[in-house]
Amino acid sequence: MRFLLCLLPATLFSADLSFNKDIRPILSEQCFHCHGPDNNNRKANLRLDIDNPRVKTADILGRVNHKNKALRMPPAYAGRDALPQQDIDKLKNWLAQGARYESHWAFIPPVKSPKATIDSLVESRLAQNNLQLSPEAAKTTLLRRLSFDLTGLPPTPAETQAFLNDNKPNAYEKQVDRLLASPRYAERMAWRWLEAARYSDTNGYQSDGVRDMYRWRDWVIEAFQNNKPFNQFVVEQLAGDLMPNATLDQHMATAFHRNHRTSAEGGIVPEEFRVEYVADRAETTSTVFLGLTMGCARCHDHKYDPITQKDFYSMFAFFNNLEEKGLVYNWGNDEPLIKAPTRDQQATLAQLDAKLAKAREAVQKAESRWQRDMTKWKAPDNWLPHHGLAYENALADSKFDGTRVVETKPTPVIYDYLSPFTFSAWIKPAEPTGAILSIAEDYAEGSGHGFYLRDGHIRLNVVFRWTDIGMRLETKSKINLNEWQHVVATYDGSRYAKGVRIYINGQPQEINVLFDELNWPMKFKHPLKIGAGNGMNYKGEIKLVRVYDRELSADEVTALAPTPSPAKLRLAYLDAIKPIEIANLLEAQRERDAFHKTIPTLMILREGPKRQAYLLKRGAYDAHGEPVEPATPSALPSMPSSYPQNRLGLAQWLTSKENPLLARVTVNRFWQMLYGIGIVKTVEDFGSQGEWPLHQDLLDTLAVDFVDSGWNVKQLLKQIVMSRTYRQSSRVTPDLLAKDPENRLFARAPRLRLSPEMIRDNALALSGLLVEKQGGPSVKPYQPTGLWQELSGGGGYPQDHGDALYRRSLYTFWKRTIAPPSMMNFDSPSREACTVRETRTNTPLQALNLMNDVTFLEASRKLAERILKESPSSGIDRAYEIVLNRKPTAKERELITQSLNRFEQRYKANPKEANQLLDQGEAPLPRKLNRPTLAAWTQISSLLLNLDETITRQ
Amino acid sequence: MLRRKFLTQSALGLNALSQLFGKGLPTHFPAKAKRVIYLFQSGGPSQLELFDYKPQLVKYANQNLPESIRKGQRLTGMSATQSSFPVIPSRFGFKQHGKNGTWVGDLIPHTASIVDDITIIRSLHTEAINHDPAVTFLLTGAQIAGRPSMGSWLSYGLGSEAENLPAFVVMISPGQGGGGQPLYDRLWGSGFLPSKYQGVKFRSVGDPVLYLSDPAGMTRDDRRAYLDTLNQLNEQQLTEFGDPEISTRISQYEMAFKMQASVPELTDLSKEPQSTFDLYGEDARKPGTFAANALLARRLAERGVRTIQLFHRDWDHHGGLQKGLPKRCQEVDQASAALIKDLKQRGMLDDTLVIWGGEFGRTVYCQGRLTADDYGRDHHPRCFSIWMAGGGIKPGLVWGETDDYSYNIVQDPLDCHDLQATILHCLGLDHTKLTYKFQGRNFRLTDVHGKVHKSLLT
Repeated sequence: MRFLLCLLPATLFSADLSFNKDIRPILSEQCFHCHGPDNNNRKANLRLDIDNPRVKTADILGRVNHKNKALRMPPAYAGRDALPQQDIDKLKNWLAQGARYESHWAFIPPVKSPKATIDSLVESRLAQNNLQLSPEAAKTTLLRRLSFDLTGLPPTPAETQAFLNDNKPNAYEKQVDRLLASPRYAERMAWRWLEAARYSDTNGYQSDGVRDMYRWRDWVIEAFQNNKPFNQFVVEQLAGDLMPNATLDQHMATAFHRNHRTSAEGGIVPEEFRVEYVADRAETTSTVFLGLTMGCARCHDHKYDPITQKDFYSMFAFFNNLEEKGLVYNWGNDEPLIKAPTRDQQATLAQLDAKLAKAREAVQKAESRWQRDMTKWKAPDNWLPHHGLAYENALADSKFDGTRVVETKPTPVIYDYLSPFTFSAWIKPAEPTGAILSIAEDYAEGSGHGFYLRDGHIRLNVVFRWTDIGMRLETKSKINLNEWQHVVATYDGSRYAKGVRIYINGQPQEINVLFDELNWPMKFKHPLKIGAGNGMNYKGEIKLVRVYDRELSADEVTALAPTPSPAKLRLAYLDAIKPIEIANLLEAQRERDAFHKTIPTLMILREGPKRQAYLLKRGAYDAHGEPVEPATPSALPSMPSSYPQNRLGLAQWLTSKENPLLARVTVNRFWQMLYGIGIVKTVEDFGSQGEWPLHQDLLDTLAVDFVDSGWNVKQLLKQIVMSRTYRQSSRVTPDLLAKDPENRLFARAPRLRLSPEMIRDNALALSGLLVEKQGGPSVKPYQPTGLWQELSGGGGYPQDHGDALYRRSLYTFWKRTIAPPSMMNFDSPSREACTVRETRTNTPLQALNLMNDVTFLEASRKLAERILKESPSSGIDRAYEIVLNRKPTAKERELITQSLNRFEQRYKANPKEANQLLDQGEAPLPRKLNRPTLAAWTQISSLLLNLDETITRQ
Repeated sequence: MLRRKFLTQSALGLNALSQLFGKGLPTHFPAKAKRVIYLFQSGGPSQLELFDYKPQLVKYANQNLPESIRKGQRLTGMSATQSSFPVIPSRFGFKQHGKNGTWVGDLIPHTASIVDDITIIRSLHTEAINHDPAVTFLLTGAQIAGRPSMGSWLSYGLGSEAENLPAFVVMISPGQGGGGQPLYDRLWGSGFLPSKYQGVKFRSVGDPVLYLSDPAGMTRDDRRAYLDTLNQLNEQQLTEFGDPEISTRISQYEMAFKMQASVPELTDLSKEPQSTFDLYGEDARKPGTFAANALLARRLAERGVRTIQLFHRDWDHHGGLQKGLPKRCQEVDQASAALIKDLKQRGMLDDTLVIWGGEFGRTVYCQGRLTADDYGRDHHPRCFSIWMAGGGIKPGLVWGETDDYSYNIVQDPLDCHDLQATILHCLGLDHTKLTYKFQGRNFRLTDVHGKVHKSLLT
């Protein structure tokens, strides 16, 4: 690409000397590193990025021309060569004309060229270069181009035929409207946004655990489908949670900024990684919405753009207040999160809630009757809760002398980290420290569950690894020595300390959380011990030890005491008469809970208490500099003080008319989507080092129109695809190739290899395998075996079957550290960080992928079946209609016929090999087709799927 | 004939092609090494048992690591809350070897036998204390994902000299312990460089290269006939549209066809004589072992592959070091030494740079339980040991020195960027000049750091 740019003839550029166009790029590339915005590293006190008196007095020309290499600028010791003569000439002219500065073009709000259209702007530029638009592409080409561009899928032969038959002037426009209205459009648009948002189904560091963010992915699809105005699209994703009366959907939108990678690697310093997550949000925000590379300013002031380190941390401060952990959960979503039911699930949940409410009402109604009857009822002696009782030991001998251990081996209970439980015992301690009950290793800081007395406090430990994985907490109060007391700990299985209650004599206690990082499955089989555990033997008395497989309620805990109480009486009574109302309530609750459990969660943004942000020296998480407050970059129009000084204000500022960047950056990305290259090629960088747009008038006109339309994405796309510029032929003549190899002037339509997801989706669609179902959990289609194991061991890739094999690639499970190989072969970003630039390479691995991946072999077989079924007599014509929506040329027909005959003869002579070839994929093979013929057609179909034309939108 | 026509039609297509296959690019200065083989030991092998001999530790055994040594430096979350930090000397012996009497751990006798051919560096250090950031840092120059890997920088900077093989090949072997830290595609990924520079993983299970084999029921002749038709059809399209990408595509299909022959030939070890297996060990007959990969590394080197990166997993001995470390050593020791001897006897060691080592070292203090038959060590970033050989590296040197506890470096520190700069230097590249412009900035493997350590060089 660098190579190509050098070939751009100078004649492309206009002769007038403009600071932004001609001078700034030279200064930025050659001088700003030492004479730019970075205040801390400026040399010779000379600043060249803004107008100042030193520019006029400094001997710039003398230095760039200096004979002494050490004094010549840029200096040889920095590894720089002398400036090319043409640059020196430009500088000379500029200085001679008074060294006039202009604000950086992208920081000035866009202005629409009056009465301009895409075509008028492109044509006038072409005329300056003695070029003109190419003729319109053939209708078949045009429809295929449009279908891929707007829906990511090919047209069907019937759609092509309908378009060919339609001779009305608005025939093309009707196709545009049809495709924009298709649900496929939303899926196509979502893909790009997922890449920008670094969306993935895994966390992305080290063991790369799973997460569940698909409800956000589906939110994105729905937003594009409903043509949500782009400004709202932005505001909701950055700050939906802060909007007044935020809806569930608006909360869900904020998952955008939880898509970054997170680490569950044991032993990390959590703050180091939490800072990394916040920085990722700041950097992604600036790349996606501002087209600025703020990442450079994380460690120092930006070398090229007027972005200070303080600007970076001011942006950082907007995203710093989440109640999140640096060390995240490896087995699913981590806080802050919400339940994100689909619309169907919302309806079901509402029904179940109503049922539950009704059951509660019935209990309330019956309550007075029960209270009345209870008084007449003779309670049994010392009734105790029995549901869920897993272990009981009354301990006839209750004395523990500091050496005695009551051990049950193997343990009657094995608790994982998500298993709820209740521990209960009566104790009369003689010393303030000792183990009451444990299912743990019996040495200090060992693993396992333990119910202990530590310095008089009642302590509960659930430990996977003492130093970093587990939960440890204790009562604030202390227990009395030499006195019988009833102690209970309950845990709800939530893996958080907040799910634990500790009671002394039936009274819930205030709790000190000592450690709250219970995040790893555990299946220890340590013996259950009374009087010992973690190396702490008990002195005193213990009796009536009970363990339950569930979290007892406060009433039930009270009922564990021998003393009568109204709550205990009620529980015992209801246990005796077993009223239908209680059974119904429990059933309704169970049903509701079971359903609630199936509702997917989503990690979202939620403001916690303010966490002071600091400028971090050298970007190091623990090197606090001055405190900073949330603020937008100082070089851009400032955020009005009337805006809330939080993410919502930031989002409002981004989408305000005064912001010169959002509309431009967005329009440019959509242009890239349709042209393969942005009007500003550096789609991620509109700063000083970014490309100065040859077609700024076009970019600005589109940007202004976009905002004026109410940020209407479909309208913008329609505006572009309706233009003659878009509808040109993509034929490359030697003249065009010589004059404009990269097609920056748009004298032809671009000819682009399909993006990775389209290559696969196209094969599925043509073969009839594609299963179109919008949204839902990600799926695991074919993948070569062993890929996951060889990098990370474990159970490997659990491939799906049936429909899940044939969904659009948008729904393919994305594991960040081992991304789907065929997507990577065709240049997909790994989704480890925000990526907005499209790249395309051309490699032999792609050829092997298309020829030999079971995905494409199975599609070839199914395509062969389809061809034979739809047109047994003129298969070749039909094949071309299906695959390329055109008829074959005579030469093509001849070549295919020869090949078909060759393969047919070959497989007729060797039917066993025909069968082997057909044994690809899990789709059933119809019995009645002739195997050698089908095998020959499978080869032809594979050939067609491998054609350059097939994987290209031209 | 077909191919020549395309190439003349399109210089652009040829340019794209040459960067992946079969065409070297000029170096910044004459290179000592033409290729590099990196024997990466993932998980962090303990320097204390292998290379950094500390006899005086016996005196301090079981004592708490003094604060004067630790100096408040940060520890990983795995041992930071440990209540004590008992010093544990190596429970394995050391002996002196070679002309200079270099101390080498008894666990790696074969490595000891090549000590005069290699340089042991005991003073490498890193910024990261956890696996993911540390491996990413060592192999891409930054802790955070997104930068190109060293191998892809080399492909970008030097092109390839292999005719029918990729410029950058990766092979992975699991430790036989069955566990070990995961690896990530980014370690051989191309980051922001075009994806054609990414490392190609050669696998021991299934196709050596993904999608390499034609389906059952398809012969080599079938594929040839198929490609002849495909090429002619694509040529029609080229005539029609004139897009240079089409001619590149045709060439890539031809290259794929050649790879289908060259890769199986490469991985077929049946023609290697018994002496080869005597040298590398019988393990080398088992696909997917480190020994087999080391032998393949030599075969790849012979065929002009520029960067060959092996990963052996499972060196992360937080606990179980006493049993686990000898096994890992046994898995890699003989074959690592064999590779050096083999390259030497073939006259290839002089222009092949070989590096052996992990992402960090291990702590002198014990992590977790300390018993008569078990101990463990946590991650230690402040010093660790690796060795380098061939390709411009002085043989028989021991570089750098650590304190009595192998905790801090006291002489000749070398950081990861220095190592990268030195590796690039051996390959004829100035690390400050190998740049790629991305997001408005010229990026380098060594970021803004790195110093070539010339005393390590011949």
